[in-house]
Amino acid sequence: MTSFLGKILHVDLTARTVTEKTVPPEVYEAVLAGKGLEAWYLYNNIPAGADPLGPENILGFAAGALCGTGAFLTGRWTVACKSPLTGGWGDANCGGLFAPAIKQCGWDAIFFSGVADGPVYFFSDGKTTELRDASDYWGLDATEAEKALHAALEPVCRKKPCVACIGPAGEKLSLISGICNEGGRIAARSGVGAVMGSKRLKAVVLAGSHPLPCHDPEAVKALSKELGRKLLKMTLPSGLGVFIGAGGRMMGHLPYLPLDGSLTAYMFREWGTQANTSLAITSGDGPIKNWGGTPRDVRRMDAVYNPEHINKIETAKYHCYSCPLGCGGKLNIRGRRYAEYDETHKPEYETIEAFGPLLMNWSLDSIFQLNELLNRAGMDTISAGNTVAWAIECYENGILTKEQTDGLELNWGNTEAILTLVRRMVAREGFGDALADGVKRASETYGGKEYAMHIGGQEPGMHDARNDPQLGVHFVAEPAPGKHTVGMGIEYGAMSLCDICSWAPPATLHPKSEDLEDTERLALITKANACYTMLVDGAGGCYYGQMMGVHMWKLVEYLNAAEGWDYDGDHYMEIGARIQTLRQLFNIRQGIDPASITLPRRMQGDPPLPSGPLKGVRLKNREQVSSHWRAFGWDDRTGVPLPETVEALGIPALTEVAQ
Amino acid sequence: MTKKQPVFDYLHCVSCGICAQACPVSALGMKKEGKSGKYRNLFPELVSSGCIGCGQCARACPMEVIRMEASQA
Repeated sequence: MTSFLGKILHVDLTARTVTEKTVPPEVYEAVLAGKGLEAWYLYNNIPAGADPLGPENILGFAAGALCGTGAFLTGRWTVACKSPLTGGWGDANCGGLFAPAIKQCGWDAIFFSGVADGPVYFFSDGKTTELRDASDYWGLDATEAEKALHAALEPVCRKKPCVACIGPAGEKLSLISGICNEGGRIAARSGVGAVMGSKRLKAVVLAGSHPLPCHDPEAVKALSKELGRKLLKMTLPSGLGVFIGAGGRMMGHLPYLPLDGSLTAYMFREWGTQANTSLAITSGDGPIKNWGGTPRDVRRMDAVYNPEHINKIETAKYHCYSCPLGCGGKLNIRGRRYAEYDETHKPEYETIEAFGPLLMNWSLDSIFQLNELLNRAGMDTISAGNTVAWAIECYENGILTKEQTDGLELNWGNTEAILTLVRRMVAREGFGDALADGVKRASETYGGKEYAMHIGGQEPGMHDARNDPQLGVHFVAEPAPGKHTVGMGIEYGAMSLCDICSWAPPATLHPKSEDLEDTERLALITKANACYTMLVDGAGGCYYGQMMGVHMWKLVEYLNAAEGWDYDGDHYMEIGARIQTLRQLFNIRQGIDPASITLPRRMQGDPPLPSGPLKGVRLKNREQVSSHWRAFGWDDRTGVPLPETVEALGIPALTEVAQ
Repeated sequence: MTKKQPVFDYLHCVSCGICAQACPVSALGMKKEGKSGKYRNLFPELVSSGCIGCGQCARACPMEVIRMEASQA
């Protein structure tokens, strides 16, 4: 017995049919489940040139291999499709309870093709599986829709349903919209919400209760118990958050990056991802003033975004399924300035950075409101923040006029104007309509392309490649470009991948300046990072488990115990390479030219910043990306996987079994 | 008649929610307010009278902090 159910469901929304399909065991051996299974299915079933918002596109929801086995930090569900934002591979993932709910209905993944003739939602409790009319829910925000579906279905379901749905942003086909669950958690990237909206699929509702298989549950539980006991003891004294900004200032000027995976556990357990905000502001990690500013532009802003301010209004921690860490939280925001809601999920670092320093916005209260507004709308805060930043810089430089912005004075840090603009983006009203499709489209309409920060069409996550050149490689080389959750230098240092992989270079204290050079060592590091991330995504693991390092979160041991395998780390890293290569092949088939994807000039250090921790930094990103491709066995000029690499990874055989 | 119900050792519970999701009838919910060390947190508890005593929650718990004990029904 393995953890795989061996079955997937394909729902044709046009024909209103559901078809259960068997997946051969060799597919799971090759790509695991989660994103790997989706890469295999989408590569083999979405034709070249498919309209991302048309019936040929396929939207997949998948749980990972380890979900439901007792392994900790394996509650991520991944949604994948052809992205309407980039025209290539698109994916996003999220936590909450939805991942086990997929498997508890009896499938490793559910795929949707076609377009329904009216609003529908998909329902399954593992016995009854059907499409239902969603007219009553269309138009509701994601949290309202989830509550309404619970109210209607809980009385008639044996098990409480789990809901993943779109909000108004997805319904209105915003290309920066995502898919939500658990009252505002969101799989935000790649425009996956617009694909769901284009299919008129409001929600996927799952209420199954199938037991979930595992080869050796006791061995898996033993690994989890060891980690859980460690985490229970990992507590920081209260009040330390006030020092994080100073720590960032020091890190910014240190010649080395620290190496310790347990930092992730301590910091995320104490504050969640928002622990990073004040550190990012002072260290050079976080973008300021549309990626053109420096810490000097936001002196003392680290005090505004001191994570202790947020901890004070946290009513309880929020854990995703199978997570002992609990980086999330529920905040009481009743009565705070700008608040239209009583409660919000604790804003992630990415959201705070995108609507704080990036826009020179000094109001933490406005970020609570924006967080809840965008989570309910189902709009990606990273993309939305980057797009608003472009609009402000265009307005400040006379490219946009007050008439064009419908009367808004879009100056840096104008909190009221930012709030109004975001509301209009969600509603697709006036000027907001143009911004609802992201910064690339907006700049094509209005100009100011030099201020439009996107990579291959997608707005980058809130970490600066000038601070971490390895991140710059992943921003460009990742088949879903612009994502920040593939690899970074600081994380490589913490993960100790060299202890599971024979070809991964040792993580050593080394001068940051070495990462500015194009070296074989750096290419192997970025390859190792990408392979391990794909492996984690196939397992359904959490990026923060990954960041704890292989000695705390023991992925190889977990997989061997759950599947009854006895593979070493090199074997598993090859699975990661296979998933990444399948995604790149998907892009090539869809006409993406990887060599045309570049970092925005500003992020390459052109021109270099005049002051601060990133003063004078220029990247050799193009050369480093070429070396990264070469390390993967892809053409180093074009980024196309070489035939011998594709053959060696067994991809032709995987295509044959898909037929 | 007697039936078995879950009893929790909250001191060693990590709030991972695996037990609640394993419950086939959603009789468990992550609703009980408490503390994990200094952190305010939510813990599992019976939220309905529908517990069927199947023990899936206890079997699923990686921390082994759930015991099934007889209770008067």
